[in-house]
Amino acid sequence: MFKQLSDRFGPMVAIGILLLMLLWLVMLVVLPQVLMIDYSLRPNLPPSQIGGPNDNYTLSNYVTLFNNQIHQTIFFKTIWSSVLVTVCTLIVCYPLAYYLAKVATPRQAALCVLLLIIPFWINEILRTFSWFIILSYRGPLNALLLGMGFIDRPIRFLSGDGGVIIGMVYAYILFMVFPLYNAIESLDGNQIKAARNLGSGWIRTHYRIIIPHAKPGIATGCIMVFMLSAGSYAVPALLGSPGSRWFTQIIYNWFFEGGDWNQGAAYAFILLLLCIGFIVLVMRLFKVGLGDIAR
Amino acid sequence: MDSSVHLDNVMMQFDNFVAVQKTDLKIESGEFFSFLGPSGCGKTTILNMISGFLDPTEGTVRIGGEDMRRVSANKRPTSMIFQNLALFPLMTVAENIEFGLEVRGIKKAERRKVSDRLLNLVALPECRDKRISDLSGGQKQRIAIARALAVEPRVLLLDEPLSALDLKLRQHMRTELKEIQRKTGITFIYITHDQGEALTMSDRVGVMSAGKLQQVADPVTLYRAPATPFAASFVGENNRIAGKVIAMDGKRTTLDCGVLGQLSGTSVHDLSVGESALLFIRPELLNRRTEMTENCFTAKIQELNFEGAYLMMEATPINTQSTIRAQLLSDVNIGDLATGNQVIFGFDAQDAIIMSGKSDV
Repeated sequence: MFKQLSDRFGPMVAIGILLLMLLWLVMLVVLPQVLMIDYSLRPNLPPSQIGGPNDNYTLSNYVTLFNNQIHQTIFFKTIWSSVLVTVCTLIVCYPLAYYLAKVATPRQAALCVLLLIIPFWINEILRTFSWFIILSYRGPLNALLLGMGFIDRPIRFLSGDGGVIIGMVYAYILFMVFPLYNAIESLDGNQIKAARNLGSGWIRTHYRIIIPHAKPGIATGCIMVFMLSAGSYAVPALLGSPGSRWFTQIIYNWFFEGGDWNQGAAYAFILLLLCIGFIVLVMRLFKVGLGDIAR
Repeated sequence: MDSSVHLDNVMMQFDNFVAVQKTDLKIESGEFFSFLGPSGCGKTTILNMISGFLDPTEGTVRIGGEDMRRVSANKRPTSMIFQNLALFPLMTVAENIEFGLEVRGIKKAERRKVSDRLLNLVALPECRDKRISDLSGGQKQRIAIARALAVEPRVLLLDEPLSALDLKLRQHMRTELKEIQRKTGITFIYITHDQGEALTMSDRVGVMSAGKLQQVADPVTLYRAPATPFAASFVGENNRIAGKVIAMDGKRTTLDCGVLGQLSGTSVHDLSVGESALLFIRPELLNRRTEMTENCFTAKIQELNFEGAYLMMEATPINTQSTIRAQLLSDVNIGDLATGNQVIFGFDAQDAIIMSGKSDV
């Protein structure tokens, strides 16, 4: 890489670019993480005792989670709900991405993408809060369903995980649509025609031709959406009920309400490890490598 | 089994653009039929209407006498070989060939029998478990044929499948396609802009231009007796000379061709004196004459190419800007011809074709 850069811009600039990159990696990525690991492995002590005889490395912060039934439940519920969000987002986005990539005329596609992007010009808190209004007990969605006679009395969307899942699917649509769109778009239209021509119906064409081709895009989208939902704070904080706390909220509480950074860091690392585990699992499941995803 | 294809007054229009003008055509069961024309002439649109990817704006497509209007693309008894072949890259060769059978719910053992038979037919039994990306161009071609034949179509549609191959392979595949057609006895509908392909393989050729079927004829008739100026100039090489009709004697018509003088040929349809007309004479039917007689003109050689048995030359008739091409036997002419020489060219009136200039497209 140094040779390429120096051929292009001269050695001085090349050294500069590489130094900046190194600086960025070490200062902004590696060091904070190392610091956090360090935190997570030390007990939470009053300032006077830091560095004292009690400041030893210990795994006790990690063990806390395994001794706390409620935190464990929330931890697994967060993972399960994030999987649910990921699956729902995929189900919503796949037809949309297929339409954008293969059915719509360029003008329709451009309009559709614009309509998808415009809501994201609004800040996430406001967007999420608007869902709070839409889904509320006396909100417009209930009014509409009541008016059309589908339900007899309003549904409590916001108690339980329903509201959180709806809000997250909405918040992360773009992270799923674009990888899917890119993947489906690169499929030669004649492949679809050939499958049709050989007698394949639409379901089989998707299942045998389009989805296998789009696999790297599906994996990328799923990983992104899962990571974002598992690590989301705003959506569960706004749309969640007391019964649907997210693990990130517990981490937040350790840091900023409990003032126990060591405990918070340990929880955050457990979440990170889990997310990495999930990525590896998804990549195995879809039989895609890192190279496919970076495409 | 009846595998004829009828186009009953079929017309295709996109917005304001007529891709295929009203066409009425019957392709016989078991025929090798080619649509020949330049790109954008509507031949691929016709193929798409037969396969069901497009619904004609007007008219109906019938296959084996059956109306195809309500039959969607995946239910038609047709099979298509795409220009880029469109083999499924994520499947093995065998899976590609068996895909159409898998769709039909045929058991694995049964599918395997069919794919084995077809791999033998296209002489690639060892490629069974290879990946598509590991095949050469010619092998891919044959696998595409095998995949299309696996579903036992009544009609095989071929959309310029040979255009990506090199010349040698292309010529070889021509013979092979013809052979497969003979063995299977199904109707082949072949799309090409390459007149060589159309003439060598087809039973009949339909020449298309600007969405209009110009002429449907067997290759020999098409070459010897083109019916329209487009067919005359698109199929094979042809010299085109414009003039005005001055005399007619039965089919034999004489034109006044300005500085080229009076030239006679055989008219393909009725003309009237004074009408403007076109005379077509093939390069190989032009002879070299020793003196000016009837049906002769003098031209100056601009370019002379030795092609083994033949000399191919481009020459400009005296006092004109136009170019004519002539093909002469090389052994008797090579000694005394050179660029810049003047030669007298002549031709027999029955070799030249005359048609109305108005029908020019």
